[in-house]
Amino acid sequence: MPEGGSSTYAVEIEGLVRAFGARKALDGVSLTLPAGAFLSIFGPNGAGKTTLLRVLTTLTNPSKGTARIAGLDVVKDAVELRDRIGLISHNPLLYPDLSAQENLEFFAEMYGVEDPAARVHDLLTAVELDHRRLDLVRTFSRGMLQRLSIARALLHRPEVLFLDEPYSGLDPHAADILDSLIASVRAEHTFVMVSHDLAKGLELCTHALILAKGRVVLFEPRENIDPDAFAATYRSTVGMGVA
Amino acid sequence: MAETATAAPKRSSSWRQFKAILRKDIVMELRTKEMLSSMTLYTLLTLVIYQIALSQSGSGFDIRLIAAGLVWLAFVFTSMLGLNRSLVHEKDQGCLEALLLAPVDRPVIFFAKAVGNLIFLLIVEVVTVPIFAVAFMSGRPIAGPFWMLVLSAFVGSLGIAGVGTFLATMAVNARGGSFILSVLFIPLMYPALLAAVAGSSAVVLGGEGYAATFWQAVGMGAGIDAIMLLAVFALYEFVVGA
Repeated sequence: MPEGGSSTYAVEIEGLVRAFGARKALDGVSLTLPAGAFLSIFGPNGAGKTTLLRVLTTLTNPSKGTARIAGLDVVKDAVELRDRIGLISHNPLLYPDLSAQENLEFFAEMYGVEDPAARVHDLLTAVELDHRRLDLVRTFSRGMLQRLSIARALLHRPEVLFLDEPYSGLDPHAADILDSLIASVRAEHTFVMVSHDLAKGLELCTHALILAKGRVVLFEPRENIDPDAFAATYRSTVGMGVA
Repeated sequence: MAETATAAPKRSSSWRQFKAILRKDIVMELRTKEMLSSMTLYTLLTLVIYQIALSQSGSGFDIRLIAAGLVWLAFVFTSMLGLNRSLVHEKDQGCLEALLLAPVDRPVIFFAKAVGNLIFLLIVEVVTVPIFAVAFMSGRPIAGPFWMLVLSAFVGSLGIAGVGTFLATMAVNARGGSFILSVLFIPLMYPALLAAVAGSSAVVLGGEGYAATFWQAVGMGAGIDAIMLLAVFALYEFVVGA
């Protein structure tokens, strides 16, 4: 259904399996997430969190099952879907030998952003990098890279934003800036965030998911979650090993 | 930062995306000169090795008999070096993923990267051929018209850029990637290179019926290029994607 793509659910996953040879990184994951929600995904290393994010962002095809984002199938409607999603990763996904402005202008061309000059200027101002817009990205600090990465992800006004451990490697000041940037766009987007930081993930989320061995261990709205019980459940999964 | 997620975003055209990727690659290469400098230097070093290898050949030896083969040999090894680098900067800081996240058809990425590599290869050829001519062929002009040599070089380079870009993409996504390019490039390019060397040799040597030999070789080269580019076009989504 590429033409409409509207759905009350931002994320709909049914029986999702992703296998690498005999090993199943995702093993029958199913869940639905309403539009406007903030999902935090937790789990030990190798639980399948990043694989789930890669499938939902069309970077990897599922082996079995279906996933729809903003009403669009991640396989059949992949090209249309890419217009509706953004990814902020611990990797900045920016060209080091282009300036901040050139990076955003390039991605604006790729996404067909209307009035790209104004949009790029607005975003660089919003992430407080306008004064460094002509500097090569390779000269940026980790915090600046992450801010520019957020600008890149928001450039085409995506409906669903995916965050893959966005706080990884940030100092407290840079983490505060990231917090305020997320807060400033929180109301207009659905968020799906992979995190190892329980406190941060629970603070931000409306829904929480724990994955282990590629399976859903817990998926609950935030209001049903007792932080202590949740932490205990999370700790128990750490000993479960990888998928 | 007021944001409004749009319901039905307007997609960029494939032509606009093609131009954006190509422009980005050219700007980055002109800024870093990573590919051009290493490829040119490597070609010049190859010519030095030729000079050593041919130093004992004697004054009666007609270099024109093997000139086209020598030049193509230099281009093949140089392009392997350059093509290996061409996708590496896409891997830095996850740029290839950022490109794959954009609503762009995968063949558009392939064609933009291949055209970029073709331009860089042609620039190296423009530098190399005159140096080769001065160093090895003084007093022995080519028999055919120069434009025939240019056409032959273009057809051969097109195949190198197309297949090389495809293999470089495979290489960047695989463990021990540079090995893939080194091992698969020459076997895959063998028929196209044979045609390129035959076409170029016909122009350099001349003789009765050289034009017919040239057109036969260039036609064969162009046909092989077309088949390989179509195959690569069909397979690129699989190679670059899941």
